[in-house]
Amino acid sequence: MKRISEDYQSRLPDNTALKQQQLPAYRLQLSATGVLSGFFAAGAFCLGMGIILILSAKSIKEIEVKYTKICANCAELREDATNFDKECTCSIPFYLSETMKGNVYMYYKLYGFYQNLYQYILSRSNSQLLGTDLKDVGNCAPFSNSHDGTPIAPCGAIANSIFNDTIILSYNLNSSIPIEVPMLKSKITWWTDKYVKFQNPSSINLSSAFAGTTKPPYWSKPVYELDEEDPGNNGFLNDDFIVWMRTAAFPTFKKLYRRLNRIQYFIEGLPAGNYSLLIFDFPVTRFKGEKSVVLSTLTWSGGSSLFLGLAYTVTGAVTWLAAFSMMAIHLMLKKKKMLFIQD
Amino acid sequence: MQREPAAAEEPGCPGGRRRRRRRRRRPGDGRTRVVRSNLLPPPGVEDPAAGAAKGARRRRRGGAQRLADNRLKTTKYTLLSFLPKNLFEQFHRLANVYFVFIALLNFVPAVNAFQPGLALAPVLFILAVTAFKDLWEDYSRHRSDHEINHLGCLVFSREEKQYVNRFWKEIRVGDFVRLRCNEIIPADILLLSSSDPDGLCHIETANLDGETNLKRRQVVRGFSELVSEFNPLMFTSVIECEKPNNDLTRFRGCIIHDNGKKAGLYKENLLLRGCTIRNTEAVVGIVIYAGHETKALLNNSGPRYKRSQLERQMNCDVLWCVLLLICMSLFSAVGHGLWVQRYQEKKSLFDVPESDGSSLSPVTAAVYSFLTMIIILQVLIPISLYVSIEIVKVCQVYFINQDIELYDEETDSQLQCRALNITEDLGQIQYIFSDKTGTLTENKMVFRRCTVSGIEYSHDANAQRLARYQEADSEEEEAVSKGGSLPQRGSIGSHQSVRIMHRSQSTKSHRRTGSRAEAKWASMLSKHTAFSSPMEKDITPDPKLFEKVSECDRCLAIARHQEHPLAHLSPELSDVFDFFIALTICNTVVVTSPDQPRQKVRVRFEVKSPVKTIEDFLRRFSPSRLTSGCSSIGSLATNKATHKSGSNFLSTLSNDRTLLKLEEKLSQPTKAIASNGYSSGAKEKEQEWELRYEAESPDEAALVYAARAYNCALVDRLHDQVSVELPHLGRLTFELLHILGFDSIRKRMSVVIRHPLTDEINVYTKGADSVVMDLLLPCSSDDARGRHQKKIRSKTQNYLNLYAVEGLRTLCIAKRVLSKEEYACWLQSHLEAESSLDNREELLFQSAIRLETNLHLLGATGIEDRLQDGVPETIAKLRQAGLQIWVLTGDKQETAINIAYACKLLDHDEEVITLNAESQEACAALLDQCLHYVKSKSPCSTPQKTEGNVSVGFSPLCPPSTSTTSGPSPSLVIDGRSLAYALDKNLEDKFLFLAKQCRSVLCCRSTPLQKSMVVKLVRSKLKAMTLAIGDGANDVSMIQVADVGVGISGQEGMQAVMASDFAVPRFRYLERLLIVHGHWCYSRLANMVLYFFYKNTMFVGLLFWFQFYCGFSASAMIDQWYLIFFNLLFSSLPQLVTGVLDKDVPADVLLTAPQLYKSGQNMEEYRPRTFWLNMADAAFQSLVCFFIPYLAYYDSDTDVFTWGTPITAIALFTFLLHLGIETKTWTWLNWIACGFSILLFFTVALIYNASCATCYPPSNPYWTMQTLLGDPVFYLTCLIAPVAALLPRLFFKAVQGNLFPTQLQLGRQLAKRSPKKLIAPKETFAQGHLLGEPRTESSEQRSIKTSGPLSQDCTSQASWHVQQPACSPEASGEPNVVDMNMPLREDILLEELSGQAPGSVPREAILEGCSGASKMKPTSTSRTAPLSSIFNLPNFSSLNWISSFSLVSGLGSILQFSRNSLQMDKQDSEFLPSPPQPDQDLCGLSGQTTDYF
Repeated sequence: MKRISEDYQSRLPDNTALKQQQLPAYRLQLSATGVLSGFFAAGAFCLGMGIILILSAKSIKEIEVKYTKICANCAELREDATNFDKECTCSIPFYLSETMKGNVYMYYKLYGFYQNLYQYILSRSNSQLLGTDLKDVGNCAPFSNSHDGTPIAPCGAIANSIFNDTIILSYNLNSSIPIEVPMLKSKITWWTDKYVKFQNPSSINLSSAFAGTTKPPYWSKPVYELDEEDPGNNGFLNDDFIVWMRTAAFPTFKKLYRRLNRIQYFIEGLPAGNYSLLIFDFPVTRFKGEKSVVLSTLTWSGGSSLFLGLAYTVTGAVTWLAAFSMMAIHLMLKKKKMLFIQD
Repeated sequence: MQREPAAAEEPGCPGGRRRRRRRRRRPGDGRTRVVRSNLLPPPGVEDPAAGAAKGARRRRRGGAQRLADNRLKTTKYTLLSFLPKNLFEQFHRLANVYFVFIALLNFVPAVNAFQPGLALAPVLFILAVTAFKDLWEDYSRHRSDHEINHLGCLVFSREEKQYVNRFWKEIRVGDFVRLRCNEIIPADILLLSSSDPDGLCHIETANLDGETNLKRRQVVRGFSELVSEFNPLMFTSVIECEKPNNDLTRFRGCIIHDNGKKAGLYKENLLLRGCTIRNTEAVVGIVIYAGHETKALLNNSGPRYKRSQLERQMNCDVLWCVLLLICMSLFSAVGHGLWVQRYQEKKSLFDVPESDGSSLSPVTAAVYSFLTMIIILQVLIPISLYVSIEIVKVCQVYFINQDIELYDEETDSQLQCRALNITEDLGQIQYIFSDKTGTLTENKMVFRRCTVSGIEYSHDANAQRLARYQEADSEEEEAVSKGGSLPQRGSIGSHQSVRIMHRSQSTKSHRRTGSRAEAKWASMLSKHTAFSSPMEKDITPDPKLFEKVSECDRCLAIARHQEHPLAHLSPELSDVFDFFIALTICNTVVVTSPDQPRQKVRVRFEVKSPVKTIEDFLRRFSPSRLTSGCSSIGSLATNKATHKSGSNFLSTLSNDRTLLKLEEKLSQPTKAIASNGYSSGAKEKEQEWELRYEAESPDEAALVYAARAYNCALVDRLHDQVSVELPHLGRLTFELLHILGFDSIRKRMSVVIRHPLTDEINVYTKGADSVVMDLLLPCSSDDARGRHQKKIRSKTQNYLNLYAVEGLRTLCIAKRVLSKEEYACWLQSHLEAESSLDNREELLFQSAIRLETNLHLLGATGIEDRLQDGVPETIAKLRQAGLQIWVLTGDKQETAINIAYACKLLDHDEEVITLNAESQEACAALLDQCLHYVKSKSPCSTPQKTEGNVSVGFSPLCPPSTSTTSGPSPSLVIDGRSLAYALDKNLEDKFLFLAKQCRSVLCCRSTPLQKSMVVKLVRSKLKAMTLAIGDGANDVSMIQVADVGVGISGQEGMQAVMASDFAVPRFRYLERLLIVHGHWCYSRLANMVLYFFYKNTMFVGLLFWFQFYCGFSASAMIDQWYLIFFNLLFSSLPQLVTGVLDKDVPADVLLTAPQLYKSGQNMEEYRPRTFWLNMADAAFQSLVCFFIPYLAYYDSDTDVFTWGTPITAIALFTFLLHLGIETKTWTWLNWIACGFSILLFFTVALIYNASCATCYPPSNPYWTMQTLLGDPVFYLTCLIAPVAALLPRLFFKAVQGNLFPTQLQLGRQLAKRSPKKLIAPKETFAQGHLLGEPRTESSEQRSIKTSGPLSQDCTSQASWHVQQPACSPEASGEPNVVDMNMPLREDILLEELSGQAPGSVPREAILEGCSGASKMKPTSTSRTAPLSSIFNLPNFSSLNWISSFSLVSGLGSILQFSRNSLQMDKQDSEFLPSPPQPDQDLCGLSGQTTDYF
C-alpha cells in the first residue's frame, strides 16, 4: 500500500516556478502613456545629442584640395614608360580663409580606389610583414615572386599599389616666400601596427636584412629606402606604408599622411592665408580616380563628419513626430468614442 | 518489476529497420512459413547423430530458413558503422546537404570567401551535435536491448533432454519453451501444452494493448487431449502459418501431423511476445515467430514524425529565402561583371590579376562572384534554424509534460507527448473530432434501469445513488475551482502565491482522495480488474423487481425436481428469471478471486469443452454416455462409427431425458448447498464479495454486477460451463455449448447453453436494440399470446426510446429455445464453418446469423455512461475558442443526441437538422433541402464572413464567437448510413458545405472507417487543421488520419494512445492543452521562426549593401569569424529562451477568454503577409544599420574591418532589442540570455582581437576591438543605429497596440492589470447581471428549462416518425423530412415571453444598472466560482434567435437590449483596460446595435 502511494506521487510533476512556467516576469506593455512618454524622452535625448554633435562637428575646419586635374600632365608624362625618370612636380595654390586651430592633420584622399576587394585584402603576407620570414609570400600571388623567383618584399597587391605621391604643404606668409609647413610623419599609425604587427627583420642594417628579396614591381625604390631622412621610418616600419596596408573600407577614402608640427607660426594651428601644395608624383600609375589632399582638425567625436549629429537630430525629430501623430490619433479616436455616446 | 523490460522494448524498433528486414525477405518464400521442431534432424542432414558440433549448427538452422532469431536489436549503429551511417542519415536532410555544399564550395580557390576550414565549422558543429544526440539515443536503446536480450527462460535442449535456462536472445524459431506463471513471453509461441486441465492458459496483454483483463489462450487442438506430459522430442508435426505480420487480432495456420491430419490454428493458440502468463502454472509451446518478427515488435512503430503546418509554411518561406538568395547573388554577379568591364581597360592598381598576370573576363568574374556571393549570403538560409526549432520543441514538450494542471490524480498520469514535432499544431486546430464513449463519457458503465417483459423498473434508488456520486464530484469541482482562484490572484509570482497554490493543490488532492478517487485508488490496487469501481459495483436493486426475482428463485427451488420447473412460473416471472440468467451468463466475464489463483479443483461434468466436433456432440447427446459414464474420452472408433451413422443420430437424441437425470445427479453437491437455504446465504454473500469479474467490455461488467445485486451471481466460469448462484436454488451450472462473441457488424453476442433445470438448449442473445428487435420471432396478432407479445414489444420499444432520451445505452436481451434437432442441424453447419480454413470468419458470421433468429424478447437494460468531469465546460470553452466540434460515435442516434445535449454540444434552443436517408438519391435531395434551408436562414452572413472581421473596428469588443453574431446556426445530426451516402464523391461537397454552416455535427452509428473518412474529408477539402480524440481501438484510424491525434489513456486499452500524438488522461485536459499550451507553442514558434527569418535577412542585408561599395566583388566587411559564429553563438541563446519561455498571454487569461485561441487558427502570428512585412522590416533595419555606420565613417580613414566590427555590434544590439520588443514576458532567464549574448560577443571579440597579431587573414583584427572601444564614434553609432532601425517597428506596434489592439493584445493588457482587477470585472458582471435584470434572467432560465424536455420529446417523436416511413418501402425513395422543432419551441417561448414582457425592465433602467454596476467595486469574492459557470453557458444565443423573428420583434426588442447589455457587461469586464471606459463603450455599442436592429 505504501509502496503504491509512493509510486503514485512519483509522476506528479514538480511544482516549481520554472517547470510550471510561472517565473516572475516583466511584461513589456505598450500603453499609450508609456509609449508616448518613451517616445518623447527618446526624441529629446536624440535631439540633444544631435545638437551637441552638430555643434562639435561645426567646430571642425576642413579643406580639401583636389589635384588630379592640375597634375594631369604629370600623369600623362608617366604614361609613357620612357619618361619614368623625368621629374614632374605640380604646385597647387589654395587659400585658407580661416585659421585651423589645434591639431591639423593632412590626409590624402582617393576616389574610386577599391581597397576593399576580397582578393586585394587577402593579397599580403602577415608573417613577412612581421619580419619573421621574408620568404613567406603566402597569399601574395601574383605579386609574390619576381620573374627570377626572388620573393618580393613586401609582397602582395596592397603593398604593390602603395600611394606614393609626395605632398609638401607650403605657406605663403608673404606673397613671395613660401614657408614649408612643418609636418610630422610619426604617430600616424595605430600603435599596435607599428609595434606589434609590423617588424623589420633583424639585422645590422636594413639593406642586408632585405637581401634576397626584391622590390614590388610598381615600386621605384626598395622597401628599405622608403624614407631617406629617417632610418627608423624605413622598411616595414615606414608609417606611410603601414597606413596604406590598413585597407580602407570604402572606395573613396582618405588616409592620414602627416600631422602638423605646431612650432613657429603654427603653434596655434594653420593660420589663414595662401598655401600651396607641392606634389611629387614620381611613380607609374594607372589609377584613374581622383586624388586630393585634405587638411582637417579633429574633435572629441572623432571625424569631420556632420552625419552623426544629423542622424541623431533627424532620429529625434522623427521620434517626436511619431509621438505627436500618435497622440493626435489617440485624441481623435477618443473624440470619436465620445460622439458615439451622443448618438 | 517484471513488466519493465517488456515495456522498455516498446519505443524502439524504428521504421527503417523493419523496412530493411522486409526487403531482405526472399520473394520466392510464398505466403506461408513452415516451422518444424528444432529437435528433429533437419530434412537435409542424413545422419541425425552427427555430434555436438552439428547440434550447434542445427541450432542456427533458423538462419538457413532466414527466420529472425529472438535477439532484440533496436539500435541503428554499431561502433564501426556509426560514423558513416549517421552521416549518411543526416545527409538525407536537404538542409545539411546544402550547407555542406556551400562549405565545400569554399575549397574552390577561385570562389572561396572564407577560409575553407572555418567555413566547415558550423556545419560540422551542427552535424556533431546531431550525431551526439543520435549516439546517446542509440546507446540507451542498446542498453535496454541488452537487458531484454539477457532475460532468461526455459528452453528444451536436445542434448540434455530437458529444459535448460537460456537467454531470450538465444531462442530460435522451432524451439520449445516452457513458461511458468507470471513469466513474460519471450516470443510468439504456439501453445502446445498447459498445466491447466482444460488446456487453457491465461495471459495478460497489458504490455501489448494496455488491457488489464486476462485473455484466454488454448492449447492447439489435438494436444489438449494428451494424457501424459507433453514431450517435445515426440513432436514431429509441421506447422504452417502466415508470414509474420503485425495484426495482433489474427493468426491463421494449420498444424500437419505425421499422419497427414491437419488441424487449424487460430489466434487463441498463440501466445504473443510481451504478454504475461497468469493463473496458469506452466505452459509449453513452440516458437513460431521470434525477435523482430513477433507481432508485438511488428506492431511497434516508435514515435511518429509528422510535419506541422507551421513547419510546412516555414519550409515554403525557406524556399522564398533561397530565391531571394539567388536573386541577390545574381544581382551581385551582374553588378560585378559590369564593374569588371568598367575597370578592365584601366588595369587598375587595386586589381589583383591571376597568377599568370591576366585579368578575368567580366563573365568569368561574374560567375565567380555569383558563387562567392552564395557562400557569403548563406546565412540567409539559417543553418541553426532547424536545430533551434528542434531544441525549442523538445523544451516545449518537456514543459507540457511538466504541467501540473495536466496531471490527473485519479489515474496518476500526466499528459504524454508522443509526437515531438507538432506541438504548435495544437494552437491552430479548427476542427475537433471526438469519439463519444470513453472520451466525452467516462466509459464507466453503470446499470441504471431495466425493463422486463414490458414492465419498467425505474430503479429510483439506484438513480439517487448515482446522483450522490455526481454530487460528490461537483463538490470536488467547486473545491477545486475555489482553490484554483487563489493562485490566480497571486499570479504575478510572489513566492507566497506559489505556496498558496501548493497548499490548495494538496487540499484538493485530499478532498479527491476522500471521495471517488479513493474508490479509484482501491481499484488501482487490484490492478487486474478493470471496470469495477464501487460506483459500477454497488447497484441498488429495485424493490419490485427484487421481489419478483426472489419469487422466481423460491418457486423454482420448490419446483426444481418436477418435469417442467419453469412452467410453474407465470410467463412474466419466467421472463424475469431468464432475463437475469441471461444477464449473468451471456457474456465473457471471467471470475477470479483476489487472493488465491484460480481454482482448478471443482466438481464438474466431465465434458471437455464447448462442443467442438460433431463427434463430441453425438457423444454428449447420445445415450451411450450413460454407459460410458464419466470416462473422459470415448474411443475414437466408436465415435467414428457414430459419425458414419450420422443420418440417424436424430433418433438417438430422443432419449435425452435420461441425460438430464444424469446431469441432475451429478450436480447433487450444489443442491446440497442449496438445501441449506437462507442460512448459508449470508456466508455466501461474504464469499461473493471476494469475487471479481474481469470483463472485456464495461457493459458486460455492469450487467453482471447488476445481476449480482439481485442475488443472481455469477460465481464461476469455465470455458465449458457457467455457474450461477441463487439464494434458494443454490448453484446452477449451465453447460456452455457455444459463445458467439460480440462483433461490431452483428452488434450482438449470444451464448448457447443447456439449461440445468429444463435441459433445454437455450440461446441467450444480448445486443443493440435496433438489431435485436428485428430478429424477434414474428408474432401473430391472432391469438392472445401473440397480442401480448406485441404489446410487450411496443412497450419495451417505448421504454428503449425513453432510455435513449435519457442518454442511456440500451441493450436488448432475448432468448431462443432450440430443439435438439434444430441445434444439431445448426451445429453441423457451424462446425463446418469453424473447421474451414479459407473463409472462416465469413462462414462463422453466417452461422451466427442463422442461430440468432426468431428470438423471444425478454427485456432491455439501460446502462448509464456518465459524462466525464468538466466535459460541458470544456466543450463550451473550446467552442468559444472557435473550434468546431464534431462527435463521431458508433452509438445510436438517440443516445448520441442526448449525450450531446448533456455535454452542451447541442443546445435546446438551436435547431437540429437530422439527416437520415435511405438511399443515395434521398440523401442528395435531403442535402439540397437542408442547404437551401440553411441559406435562406442566413442569407447575408455566412460563417466565413464573420470569421473575417475579427479584430476590426474601434471598439475592443469583437464578437466572442461567430455563432452569436450570425444567428443561431443549426446543428447537424447524421447517421452512419446517410453518412456513407454523403461521403460519396458527388455529395461530399454539399455535405461539407452544410456541415460548415452548422454549429456542431453529430455522426452516429459510424464505423471506424467512416470516422477516418470524415476527418480526411474535412482535412483535405476544407484545408483545416483537424484534431481527433478518442480512446478506443475504433478511433485509431481517425486519430492517425487527423493532423493531431489525441488518445485518451482510458479503460479501453492503449491502442488509441499508441496511435496518438498526444495522450491525455481525460477529455477536459484538452482545454488546457489546446487553449493554453497550443496557443503558447504556436505563438512561440511562429514568433521564433519569424525572428529567425528577420535576423538572417537583416544580417545578409548588411553584407549585400556593402557590395555596392566594393564593386560587387563578394567582399565582406564583417570578419569571417563573426560572420560564421554570429548566428551560432552570439545571437542564438536569447531567441531560444524566448522561444521556450515566452508567454504572450498568461494562462489564466487564455482560459477566461478562449476566443484568443482564434489567433492561432487564423494564423495571425505567422502568415505570408506577416512574413513579408517581417522581411521588409528586416530590409529596412539592415539599411539603417548599414548606412548609419557607413555615413558616420564615410570620409574617414577607417579600414574595412574596423568599420565592420561596429556593424556587427550594431546588428547584435538591434537583434536583441528587436527580440526585446517581440518578447512579451521578461523573466530573469531572458535578461541573463541577453546579457550573456552581449558579454560573449565582446569577450570573444576582445580575446580574439588580442590573441594573434598575424593570424586570421584577411581581417587581421589585431587590437581592433580595443581601439574601437576607445572611439566615441563607435558608441555613438551603436546607440543611434539600433534605435533608428527599430523606431518604425516600435511605432507601428505602439499605434496598433494602443489604438487598434488585437484580441491578444487586449488579453495581454488584461493580464498586465493587477490580479485583483482581473477578478473584479467578473464581479461587476455578476452584480450587474443580478441587480440589473433579475427577472429577465430568471425567466429566461425558466423558459429554457421548460422548453427543454418538451422539445426533446418533440425531437424524439419527430425523428421516430421520420424513421418509420423511411423504413416502409413506399417512402424509402423520398427524401425524409428535416425535422425542426423550432416552431414548437417558439410557441412556448412566446408564452413565456408574453407572461414576462410587461414586467421586464426598460432599457434605460438596464443601462443605468449596468453602468452603475460596472463602477461598483466588488465587495465579496466568494461568488467567483459559480459565476464562471454562468459565464460559459452560451445562453445568449437563444435571445438572438428570438430577435431574428419578426413575430416577436416587439417583445424581442426588450430582450435584445438586455442581451446587449449582458454581452456588453461580459465583454467589458473581460477586455476594457481602464475603469472609466466601460460605460462609454457600453453606451456606444448599444447605440450601434440599436442602429441595426
